[in-house]
This record gives sequence, structure tokens and C-alpha cells, in this order.
Amino acid sequence: MKSESKNLRIAIIGCGKIADQHVFAARRIGGCEVVALCDREVLMARQLGERFGVTACFADAGEMLRLAKPEVVHITTPPQGHYSLAKQCLEAGSHVYLEKPFTVTAPEAEELICLAERRGLKLTAGHNLQFTPEMLEMRRLVKLGFLGGKPVHLESHFSYGLGDASYVGPLLGNRQHWVRQLPGQLLHNILSHGLAKLCEFLDDDQVEVIASAHQSEQLRSLGGAEILDELRVLIRAASGTTAFFCFSTQIKPGRNELRICGPVNSITVDHASGSLIRHENRSYKSYLTFFAPPLVNARQHFRNAWINFKNFLTGKLHQDSGMKELVECFYQSIKNDSAPPLSYREILLTARIMDEIFAQIYKPKPPVSKPSP
Amino acid sequence: MSPNNIISSADRILVTGSNGFIGAKVVEILLEYGFSNVRCFVRPSSKLDRLKQMLAKYPAGKTAEIVAGDLLSREDCQKAADGVSVIYHLAAGMEKSFAGAFMNSALTTRNLMDAFLEHGRPARFVNVSSFTVYSNLKMERGALLDETCALEDNAQERFDAYCFGKLKQEELVRQYGEKRKLPYVILRPGAVFGPGKKALSGRVGIDTFGFFIHLGGENQLPLTFVDNCADAIVLAGLKPGVDGEIFNVVDDDLISSGEFLSAYKRKVKPFFSVRVPFFVANAMCSLWEQYSKRSQGQLPPVFNRRRAAAEWKGNRFSNQKLHERLGWKPRVNMEQAMNAFLAQYESRTP
Ligand SMILES: NC(=O)c1ccc[n+]([C@@H]2O[C@H](COP(=O)([O-])OP(=O)(O)OC[C@H]3O[C@@H](n4cnc5c(N)ncnc54)[C@H](OP(=O)(O)O)[C@@H]3O)[C@@H](O)[C@H]2O)c1
Repeated sequence: MKSESKNLRIAIIGCGKIADQHVFAARRIGGCEVVALCDREVLMARQLGERFGVTACFADAGEMLRLAKPEVVHITTPPQGHYSLAKQCLEAGSHVYLEKPFTVTAPEAEELICLAERRGLKLTAGHNLQFTPEMLEMRRLVKLGFLGGKPVHLESHFSYGLGDASYVGPLLGNRQHWVRQLPGQLLHNILSHGLAKLCEFLDDDQVEVIASAHQSEQLRSLGGAEILDELRVLIRAASGTTAFFCFSTQIKPGRNELRICGPVNSITVDHASGSLIRHENRSYKSYLTFFAPPLVNARQHFRNAWINFKNFLTGKLHQDSGMKELVECFYQSIKNDSAPPLSYREILLTARIMDEIFAQIYKPKPPVSKPSP
Repeated sequence: MSPNNIISSADRILVTGSNGFIGAKVVEILLEYGFSNVRCFVRPSSKLDRLKQMLAKYPAGKTAEIVAGDLLSREDCQKAADGVSVIYHLAAGMEKSFAGAFMNSALTTRNLMDAFLEHGRPARFVNVSSFTVYSNLKMERGALLDETCALEDNAQERFDAYCFGKLKQEELVRQYGEKRKLPYVILRPGAVFGPGKKALSGRVGIDTFGFFIHLGGENQLPLTFVDNCADAIVLAGLKPGVDGEIFNVVDDDLISSGEFLSAYKRKVKPFFSVRVPFFVANAMCSLWEQYSKRSQGQLPPVFNRRRAAAEWKGNRFSNQKLHERLGWKPRVNMEQAMNAFLAQYESRTP
């Protein structure tokens, strides 16, 4: 369905912390206008509207869809509402951007994708880290054949500090907190960023997943109850590509990296420093092995710093550049009726692997048999 | 206890944010005054050591009630406000995000006021706001900032989520006063200091760039020692005839930013600091703000003219209304207050 109007009409459902970033991204893109805001708590919609000059504020999504008729709806509510709200928006004829995690379970994700396809509408997930400048550069290299073939092995590290008391505090103190109600709890709300990067290259849906998790000392001391925060996952696709995923609240400095190992060359993408390192399969004579590679790497690090500096000077180094790029690509795909920026296969695979991880790590423990007296 | 108080010593009093820096002191002063039915509202995640230790010091502390919950939940607000005559509302959102600050300052206040009107016996709602709500952008340097001064009209441009939350909180309280006849008093403390809070007020300066930039110069600081501030808050809940009033809370004998910094350096540790005059700070903040706009937020507008004015332009402050209408007198003079504040660096209190 090609969008006719000049300015895309955007609405946001869920006016919490992340909604600001969505409005900022839409403002920077141009060719679109935020026309309506909706939150079950209408005061939340109004506080956002007041700050960004949006007057149409609603407490009911149905009413908002009927009156504001947005072409695109960004759903930025807690995940428990994603499925039903996205369904409602699709049924009303709006394209949908769903914040991560896309849905609570993979079957919900499948249903939404089928519905969108039936209706000729588009969906995307808030996997914005997939669209940072260094990830775009990685994709360009992969397309050019830099890896020398299909990835052999992938590694993704994702760190998350427990230091932010304003987030972790209320969550720990309240068993009814929406994060605690998710099947994967804290992990569920954060994992998809790190996993989606792997799923892009796991080109076969038949994957084997082995997950193991525990609770860190720090979380225990904060009263983390049943919440797990240290996760390791091994994945093997039927095609032979393997992957390792590490989520940690403890590793310092925090790591937010992707390493793709190809049959010829490899690539490391580091989100923390916005850099990309190519690992080329070169051999050096004798002691040069110890001198040349560090210098080659140094040159690459210098180049990364220079690129970032240039981008900063030209105003292109926004901290949320991934989100802006993703939103912009999504809007383009709507305007041109082309494929959305994230493949549905990738969104679905991410959701399925998440389901599998949570089933394994939160499975009911077998009862401990009491020693006989 | 004064016989003129609007409540008796047995009436139920609720203190929200009671485990916080000022809230715990408010509870302590209420117990000291002999109120025997104090309900302390805390979040379930709060570490209650400080509050419990303090309660143990007073006989009335044994009858004080600790209720855990979140003011974002209407049910928890109902639990908190049930049968209560006076609410001292100190809980506030200190988050950096606007939505977070709004939620924990304004939404919580709305929920609490609704519960108070429905399930309490409303005699007074003491809303603890802050100096942050003022804007002195259009005021002369050194002009008197009192309760009649203009409020910030663009917290977004000031990039100050806390200010936004507090403004919206006050707005709601005034609305409830007008439309639903909530008997309220608003207090706006300046920079509250004392043992239990080690950070230097941003009005003195910042160390964002790896060294201390002293931006406050010889500006008067709107200081209020935690005991003095808490006492003012307590009185605001007890005195008759002050419904709908607003009070700034600052101490007598205010000292300057320079004096504060010198005392700190002498007592705590000497460190390198660079003094930057206001006109330079203001120009830099203005440039930062312009760059932030031009680059569409690549650098967030953390430094901007509104913030520069609010924190470093410099005003004079008055506590005349506090003295006259609430009969408040500082419990601790400025010298004793500074000594108590600086003494905490000697002891091992975290
Ligand atoms: N300190 C100053 O210099 C200053 C100056 C002017 C005005 N004020 C005002 O004075 C009041 C107290 O300040 P403070 O310095 O004592 O702050 P504080 O120590 O941070 O205390 C704030 C309290 O609010 C609680 N709280 C936050 N959100 C809540 C929610 N949703 N439900 C229940 N409780 C919640 C916090 O609970 P947790 O302990 O669980 O986080 C905390 O105990 C605030 O209203 C503040 O705006 C302070």
C-alpha cells in the first residue's frame, strides 16, 4: 500500500521514557508529523504533547485511531500491550513500529506479521542498534564479500549496568512491576538488541539453542529475588553457523559488541566506541607477526576515531542515530512500498530464540528429594 | 506542641518520601513534637536502616507505622491516605527523563490527592516543591527572588526534567485546591544541605569536565539546613490560616558560593578549581545551546541560558514570609549548620 500524503501522519501509543526519543527521531527525519499521542494515563500523553506541541492527546487507542487516522503508529508501551495494540492498529489500517521486545511470545509475533501481510501493511521492531553507523558499515562490507563466504561463527556481547537505581529499584521492590511479569523478566526487556544481531546471520530457522543463566552477586545483594541477570547462550543453525551470546550486568567495562567470523576475514563491531575493526587473514614473515598486526589495528582505531570526529563536527554523531536511521528507513519503505528495513524472518527468529532461552532458564526446577531420615 | 495547631497529637499524619534525606528529618521532628500517629510511606525497595534507627530513638517511634508501596499505584495511595489528616508529601521523581520525573512527581501527587480526598480526613496537604520551579531569566542579577517571582515557562528548553516534574506537580496541587477544595500549602526549599548528603550544590559549580569550575562566584546561596527545612515543612502542616499559601524556605544569614567552597576546601580537601564569571558561563551556555539546536540535539542542551540563569546568575533571597506566617525560626544557625555538614566528611557515614 503506497502512502499518498506528503507528510506521514504519525501517532505514538505509550508516552513513557522512550517516547521522547521517538518524537525526536521523527522531528529530525522530516516528511512526517506526530499528529496524536495516546496513553492509558492521559496525563502522560499530555506532558509529552505539551513539550512537543502536539495537542491531540488520547487515553483510548481506538478513539485515537478513529479520530487522528495516523498512517504509522509507534507502540512504545510495556511489551504486554504490544500484541493487542498492534493488532488494533493494523486492523485500523496503520503501519506499526513496535518497540523491543516485538511481542511477549513468538506466536504473537507470527500472528501480527501474518495480519500485516494480509492487509498490505508494514511492521518493524525497535532493533535500533542494527542501524548504527558502524552496523551499516559492517553490512556494507559483508555485502562486498569481505568475510569470504557465509559466517562460520558469531559472537554478541551485551552489557547492562544495574547502577541505575531509578530503573532497577522500583523493579526489584515490586513483584507486580511489568518487567517482572514478562516470561524472561529483566532479560526479556533487554535481550533482543544483542540477539537480533546474531539472527540477521543465522540464515536457517532450524536452530539449536543451549542457554544457561544465574543471578549475579550484585543483584542478589540488591534483593533480586528470582531475577536472573547473567546469561550465556550457544546457538547452532542447521546450516552449521554457530553463535555465542553473552548478556552480563557484571562485566566491566560493559561490552556491547558483535564479532562475525567468516571463512576468510572477520569483523568486530563495537557499539560502545562506535567503531569497526576488520580482521584480515594475512600472514607476516617471522617476527613481523608481532609488530605488523598491532600497527594495522592501531591504524584502524585511528581511522575510527577520525570518522567519529568528522561525524561529530558535521552533526551526524547522534547517540540515537540507530533509531533515527531505522525509523527513516521504515518510513521510506512505507512511502515507496518497498521491503521494511528489518526482515520478518529476523524479527521472528529473534522472538523464537528468546522464547527458547526463557523456557530453558526459567523452567521449573525438579523438586529436591528430601534425604530420608 | 502549640494548642493552635490544626490537628491534635493523636491525629494521623502521613509522610511520603519518609526514608529520604529530608523526609526522615520531617518524621523525626514530628515525633519530637509528640505526634504519636505518624505513618511513614516508603517504597518496598528502600533500604530502611536510617529511618528505623531514627524511629527507635523516640518513644512515639514505636507506634509509628511504616507502609510500603508506590505512589504510582492508586491502591497503595489509598492504603497510605486512609484516615490521614495531614499529608507531608516529599516523595519526588529525581530521574533524568522527563516522563520519569513527571510520573514520580506529578502522577504520584495526583494519585495521592485523590486518595486523600476520598479516604482521608483532609486538614492539610503539604506539598514540598523546590526553588527549581522559578525562572530568573528576565530578572536582574542580584534581584530579590521571593514567592511572587515568575515560574519557569520552558523546562524542556532548560533541559531540566526535575524542574518539569515539580512544576507540573505544583500545577496539579493548585488545580485540586481550586476545583476540589483541597486545603494545601506549597513549600519551595532552596538548596537543602546537611549530614546525609555529601554532594555540593550545582549552584556552587560543576566538575563535569574533570576539574571543578566554580560558577557561583560571590552569589548568595539559597541554603537551608536539613533540620531547619524539615521544621518549616512540619510547621506548614500545623499552622492555621495558611491554606493556599506558598513559602520559600531558606535559612537566615545566607553565605555566598565562594564562602561555601572555601569552607569545603579547608575542611574536606583542597582541590584545584577555576572560577568562571557569570557573563562567561552564560556566553558558553548560550553557545552550547545554539550548537545543540543546530546539530538537532547531537549534544543535548545540558548547558543553556535558562539553566545558567537559574543556577549561576545570582539572586538575593528572603525568608520573611516563613518567619512571619509560620513563626519559623532556624533551629540551627549557619555556622553550626556548616560545621555539621562538613563534619560528615570526618566520620565514616557513607
Ligand atoms: N534535597 C534538596 O536539596 C531539595 C531542594 C528542594 C526541594 N527538595 C524536595 O524535597 C523533597 C525531598 O527531597 P530529598 O532530598 O529528601 O529527596 P530523596 O532523598 O531522594 O527522597 C525522595 C523520596 O521519594 C521517594 N519516591 C520517589 N518516587 C516515589 C514513588 N513513586 N512512590 C513512593 N515514593 C517515591 C523515594 O523513595 P526511594 O527511597 O524508594 O527511592 C525517596 O525516598 C522532594 O520533593 C524534593 O523535590 C529537595
